[in-house]
Amino acid sequence: MGILIDNLGLFLQAIGGFITPWALFHIAWSTLLGIVIGALPGLTATMGVALITTLTYKLKPDLAILVLMCVYVGAIYGGSRTAILLNIPGTPANAATTLDGFPLAKQGLAGRAMGVATSGSVMGSIIGMFFLATLAPLLGNYALKFQSYEFFWLAIFGIVISGHLTSLDDPIKGWIAGFLGLMTAMVGQEGIHAYERFTYGTTELLGGFALIPAMVGAFGLAEVLSVMRNPPAEMAKNPQDSVIPRLADIMKYKRTIVRSGLIGTVIGIIPGVGEDIGAWVSYAAARRKSKEREKFGKGSIEGLMAAETGNNAVVPGAIIPVLTLAIPGSAPAAVLLAAMFIHGIRPGPMIMVESPLFVYQVVAMVFFATIAILIYGIALTRPLLKVLAIPRTRLMPVVFVLCVIGSYAITSRVFDIWVMIGFGLFGYILREMKYPMAPLVLGIILGDLLDKNMRRGLVLTDGDITPFFTRPICIVLWVITLVSILMTIEPVRHALQRLFQKVWPGRRHSAD
Amino acid sequence: MKKADYLTGLALILLSIYVLAESWRMPRLEHLQAHPLSAPGIVPAFLAVVLLIFGLILVGRSVKAGGHRLGLSRKGIRNTLADPGNRRLLLTAVLTVVYAGVLVGRIPYGLATWLFIFVFVAVFEWRRGMSSREWKRLGLAAAILAIIVAVSISYAFERLFLVTLP
Repeated sequence: MGILIDNLGLFLQAIGGFITPWALFHIAWSTLLGIVIGALPGLTATMGVALITTLTYKLKPDLAILVLMCVYVGAIYGGSRTAILLNIPGTPANAATTLDGFPLAKQGLAGRAMGVATSGSVMGSIIGMFFLATLAPLLGNYALKFQSYEFFWLAIFGIVISGHLTSLDDPIKGWIAGFLGLMTAMVGQEGIHAYERFTYGTTELLGGFALIPAMVGAFGLAEVLSVMRNPPAEMAKNPQDSVIPRLADIMKYKRTIVRSGLIGTVIGIIPGVGEDIGAWVSYAAARRKSKEREKFGKGSIEGLMAAETGNNAVVPGAIIPVLTLAIPGSAPAAVLLAAMFIHGIRPGPMIMVESPLFVYQVVAMVFFATIAILIYGIALTRPLLKVLAIPRTRLMPVVFVLCVIGSYAITSRVFDIWVMIGFGLFGYILREMKYPMAPLVLGIILGDLLDKNMRRGLVLTDGDITPFFTRPICIVLWVITLVSILMTIEPVRHALQRLFQKVWPGRRHSAD
Repeated sequence: MKKADYLTGLALILLSIYVLAESWRMPRLEHLQAHPLSAPGIVPAFLAVVLLIFGLILVGRSVKAGGHRLGLSRKGIRNTLADPGNRRLLLTAVLTVVYAGVLVGRIPYGLATWLFIFVFVAVFEWRRGMSSREWKRLGLAAAILAIIVAVSISYAFERLFLVTLP
C-alpha cells in the first residue's frame, strides 16, 4: 500500500512538472505535428519520431522525450483520418482501421467514424497508460534478477517472436530480417575486447551503424520510394456529419474497448511487435466475440473501435520494455530508446532504482498526449483534413530533404547520409520481397545485448550451456521461442492440434 | 516471389559463408589470457550459422517451386521498365541518390536542396502536351516551394539547432 501511495505521489509530481506554459506549448505543437505526420501517407510514426529527434537536441531531456511521446501518440491517432477518408492507412498501424472506417465514410458517416476513432484512441491510450504505470515498476524490479543467460534468451526471444508476428504468412522472412539486424549490429568495435569487427579500417564504422540514420532510411527513404511507385490515392469527400465522439459508443462497446486495450498493451510489451499487429489482433478478437459479426468489414463501429483502441494501447505498452529492459516494444519505441540514450537517460533494469521519477514522467507524457489528441479530435478535425490534399509530388521531396538533414544532424557526418541511403534502398528491396522491417530494427538494437551476454554467459560457465536452459526465466523464454518456431512447421503443428483436441475433445480451434 | 526467394537464399548463403570465414580469422586473443569463449568471432559465427540454415531453407523451398528457373528475357525486362510505377520508382531512386549521395557535401547545401526539390516537382508534375503557360506556372510553383524549403531548413538547422550544414 505504501509503495502504491509513493508511486501515486511520483505520478502527481510528474504531472505537476509538466503544467508549465513552456511544457504545455511543446505538448500542443508536437501532438499536432504528430497527427499531421500520421495523417500524411508516406510519413509514419517511426519516421516522425526519428526526424523530430533531430529537432530536440537542444531541449532539456524531459522536454525532448515529452515532444517525442506526443508525436508518437499523435501519429498513431492521426493515421486513422487517412484510413477512414482515403482507404489507405496513414501509418501501418491504421491498416485495420480501413476495413470498417472506409465503408462507414462511403455511407456518409465519415464524421461518426472519426469520432469513434477518437474515442477508441483515447480509451486505448488510457488503458495502456494504466498498465505502463503499474507494470513498468514491477517489471523493472523483476528485471534486476536478469543475468547474462536471461538477456541472451531475451534477445533471441525478441527476434523470433517479432519475426513471427510481423510476418505471419511466412515467418522465416521475419526471422531472416531479425538475424540480418543482429548481424548488422556486429559491425564496429565489440563490447568486451574492443576488437574492430567488419570495419576494414574505416573510422566511421568504429561505432557501428548509427540507429537513427538506419531507421530514417528503412522507414523514410523506403517509404518515399514506395509512395512514388504506387498510383496516387483518390481524395474522398469531406465529412458532413459530426466528428464529436459519443459517450454512448464507449458505453456500448466497453467490453470491446477493454479487451482491445489489453491486447494492445500485451502486443506492445512484446519486443518489436508494434501498433499494426496490435490493431489486427484486437480487430480479429473483436470479430470473434461480436454479436454483429456480419457487419465487420462493411462499416462496423465495433470493428473500428477495436482497431483504434488496439493500436493506441500499444504505444504505452511498447514503452514498458523500453524503460525496464532497454528493449523496444515497437519500431517508433526503438527510436525513442535511441533518443533517450542521446539525451543521457539510461533506461534498463536500474531505472526504478536510479530515476523512478522518469518512469512516471513518461506516464504523465502519455496522459498529456492523450488529452491533446482528444482536444484536437474534437476541435481541429476538419481544418486538419486539408493536409490530405497536398500532392505527393510536393510532399515526398520535402520528406526526403528532412531524411537527409535528419540523418546528418546527429553527428554532422556525411557518412550517416550514406548509411541512410544504403538502408533505404536495401530496406525497400527487402520490403518488396515481404521481409518486415520491425525485426530488422530490433536486431540492430539487440545485437550488442546478444553479443555481450552470450559470450559472458559462456565464459561464466566455462562453456557449459546448461544454465541457459535450466534457469526458471530462461525456461519460459526458450520454450516459447521453440514452440513459436515449431508451430510454423506444418506436420508439427498438425500433431500439436491433434494432441490439443485429444486433451480437450470439446474444443476446436477457431478459424479466425 | 519464388525467384526472388531463390536469389535471396543464395545471397544469404554467400553472406553467411563470408561471415563464417571472417569470424574464423578474427583473433582469439590468447596472448591476453582471454577466455577462448569470449573471442570476438563467436557471436558473428553463431549468427552466420543461423542465417546459413535460413538461406538453405529458402533455396530448397524455392527450387521445389521452380524458382531456380529465372527465365530472364529481354522482353520481360523491357516490360518491367515500361511499367509507369517502376519508372516513377527508378526516377525517384536516381533523384534521391544523386541529391543525397552526390550533391550534398559537394555543392552548398541550400543550392543542392533547391535543385533537388525543383527538379523533383518539375519532373513528376510534367505532363505531355502542357501549354507554355502551364509550364511556366509549374516551374514557378516548383521554384517557390524549393526556395521555401531550402531557406527554412538551412536556417532552422544552422541558426536554431547550430548544426554545420554539409
